Amino acid sequence: MKKTIAVIFGGRSAEHDVSIITAHTPIIQSLLAMGQFDVWPIYIAKDGSWYSDQAMNDLAYFKQDNFQSNLARQKKAQILFDNGLKIIWPGIRSKTIQVDIAFPAMHGTFGEDGSLMGLLRMAGIPFVGCDLFASTVAMDKVLTKQVLAAESIPVVPYVWFTKNDWEMNGSIWIEKIAKLTWPVFVKPVHLGSSIAIAKVKQNSELKNAIEVAFHYDDKVLVEESVENLIEVTLPIMGNEELRLASIERPLNKTEFFDFSDKYLSGNKKGDGANSQYSEIPANIDKELAKQVEDFGKRTYRTLGCSGIARIDFLIDGASKRVYVNEVNTLPGSLYHHNWKKAGVSGIELISKLISLAEERFDSQQKTTYVFDSEILKKAGGQKMVE
Amino acid sequence: MIKNWLSRYNLHYPRSLVYMLQASEYNIFDYLAWYHKTQNFSRVERRKQFVKTAKGLLLLVIAWTILFFLIGTAIFILWTVTGSLKYILSFLIVLFSPYLLAYGIVIPLLVIRVIIQLPIECLIISKAKQKLKTHTAVKIGIAGSFGKTTMREILKTVLSEGKKVAAPPHSYNTLLGISQFVKTLKGDEEILVFELGEYYPDDVRKLCDLVQPSMGVITGVNEAHLQKFKSLERTVKTIYELADYLGDRPVYVNGENELARKNARSGHVVYDRGRVGNWKINNPKTDLTGTSFMMTKNGTKLELKSALLGLHQIGPLAAAAEIALNLGLSFDQVKDGISKTMPFDHRLEPKTDNAGVITLDDSYNGNPDGVSAVIAFLASLKDCRRFYVTPGLVEMGLQTEDIHKQIGKQLARASIEKVILIRNSVTSYIEEGLKEEGYKGEVIWFDDALAAFAALPLLTVKGDVVLLQNDWPDQYQ
Repeated sequence: MKKTIAVIFGGRSAEHDVSIITAHTPIIQSLLAMGQFDVWPIYIAKDGSWYSDQAMNDLAYFKQDNFQSNLARQKKAQILFDNGLKIIWPGIRSKTIQVDIAFPAMHGTFGEDGSLMGLLRMAGIPFVGCDLFASTVAMDKVLTKQVLAAESIPVVPYVWFTKNDWEMNGSIWIEKIAKLTWPVFVKPVHLGSSIAIAKVKQNSELKNAIEVAFHYDDKVLVEESVENLIEVTLPIMGNEELRLASIERPLNKTEFFDFSDKYLSGNKKGDGANSQYSEIPANIDKELAKQVEDFGKRTYRTLGCSGIARIDFLIDGASKRVYVNEVNTLPGSLYHHNWKKAGVSGIELISKLISLAEERFDSQQKTTYVFDSEILKKAGGQKMVE
Repeated sequence: MIKNWLSRYNLHYPRSLVYMLQASEYNIFDYLAWYHKTQNFSRVERRKQFVKTAKGLLLLVIAWTILFFLIGTAIFILWTVTGSLKYILSFLIVLFSPYLLAYGIVIPLLVIRVIIQLPIECLIISKAKQKLKTHTAVKIGIAGSFGKTTMREILKTVLSEGKKVAAPPHSYNTLLGISQFVKTLKGDEEILVFELGEYYPDDVRKLCDLVQPSMGVITGVNEAHLQKFKSLERTVKTIYELADYLGDRPVYVNGENELARKNARSGHVVYDRGRVGNWKINNPKTDLTGTSFMMTKNGTKLELKSALLGLHQIGPLAAAAEIALNLGLSFDQVKDGISKTMPFDHRLEPKTDNAGVITLDDSYNGNPDGVSAVIAFLASLKDCRRFYVTPGLVEMGLQTEDIHKQIGKQLARASIEKVILIRNSVTSYIEEGLKEEGYKGEVIWFDDALAAFAALPLLTVKGDVVLLQNDWPDQYQ
């Protein structure tokens, strides 16, 4: 009997389309090729509607010109999180599918940020990738820096503020930003895939960059730019025992590795960042590589990551200082191109992630979450009234 | 169960039957054997498709005619016969029409064969025999359970360096196939190389009568087609019909095959990776770029390098070199000829794809000796991950379990990292063999070969070596 696996993707996020690519390449593609699972795609549209149809296992479904009209005719699926995850198509010919394992493939808000992980924890089924806590912290670039700094993991100096802070008294923040070493980067705190990130070299550009960032988020981070920059990233996999992929260096065409470079450049198949635009393994000093690997592992453990994550680093080529930049708990297309170069095929990557999910779930099952107490019986008694 | 039964009533059913007759080369026994073991007829054309030949189309028309006739009869009975029995009778005709069709289609085939095909074939074969009788070329016959095509191609390549050589293309190794080829001969050929196919006892003798070889090569005897031969003794006897025909004339025997070696007679030239005739073979080497060795005799040294893969190729290469020298080729010509020998289609043929994965296509190799040789070659490869993909071997008769367990054990001993097995009646024995030998690698199962092939790009990374061992045609699925 094949296990049923649900790949959940799309979502109300700026990275909705990237999520569709990740879900199909390599996740669904590998799951179907393995032939060991009954694969059910769960697609969350930009308006938040949930759909599930095995026709969506084919990426071509989403590339059709009449995709939106097809979707409008599609029957919405209901998801039940009560004691397991079930996909239900209500109606006269109602149908229910019991899901054994979930494979979240959502980037950004309402997915990668821990929202989906919370639902899956409630359902009580194994799910692939980082759990709720790591996902939530990693989604907030500021929170990530604060947690890492507390563990003496180097991060670049920064200033952060909310939309409300900015609207109340923007000049205070302008002053604080002025004290940073320029140029600076302005980033929305919760967005991935380099969306709405700007490098600001002079004061006149700052306000506009902040306004753009606030268009996408209610919390903004302004941090020092690392000059003589060597930007590298390191995908890591595992729960307790960690396996590192290759250190990858994006070969920037622009001043930083933006959304287009990551997902659209070069690769006609559009299956995520590709080798043409990155150097794998990165041609950096052995000592720097060692630092990246050490900080990578420490960051992964400090945030409580499990399954898979990708740690981004900024290296000052002159001072040889390494900073952790951010943590991505669902790397685009799982960075399978990098894993492949590290000797892990698409199918091996997916099956390993599934086994890690099951391993974590089994371990969580051993934790006691409820216990019998006398508190209800005593409620309303004299002491409680007092 | 019901789904299987209903598949006989699918509109594709007549085409499936005709396709299988075609895939079985219109061998009625093979067709009936397939029919009796097949449960579901809904997806018969998996690996290949029905080819619209005149014979195939004629049979398809006949199949539909039979079907319409049966249904027409049922309707006729309903209309004309009185009494309640007519319903039962009509129902039974419709119910059994797929079975009646499956057997009924054989009758016109037999009629076509007896009235049209056989007389024409006899005429073609007789003409070919006459032509070969007067042809002055040296005729080399190759018989054996395995390795015939490889030997034919090696001989053709090497001898072509100094002689005008011709050999039938593809696997033309039957009376009719060879006779068709003989029609194309111009008469000025100096050497003709024939592969003598053996499917049933007496086949090789009949082919010898046609080809009239003056020299022979016996490449080996094993369990290939054992289901048809029933015993290895009968296989040996059939293959050695070539030696019987040649008598005192030169016969080369592959000494690496135990049965061939044991049955070699006095005067036969035995070849293996260590010797051929009076030549000794030294310094054998093989890797993904090819195979090299040195032949020495009375102080004469001949360094040879071929693009063929595996140490098991040294014997046939050395035999071809010796035959060539005996037929008057110079050392340089032999050296050049050997250097031009390349892996043949689907026989340990290496291909590197864009992702840097090296595939060794050995899908035409479906015999135990060939499999052992290839596993030995894989075992010699270092610094790479090795994948071994197989649906197992067919027609191994009573030896099926033992042979497949042996394959499993050989794979375990060679420490092949990944073994990909196609689910069928024989591959579970390979898994048993792997377990018995304490295999430490990973076994990956697929329901059919096409699914495995589709998954391979997702299973492999740069530098991996993937061996595709044997391929099952549809009649064995």
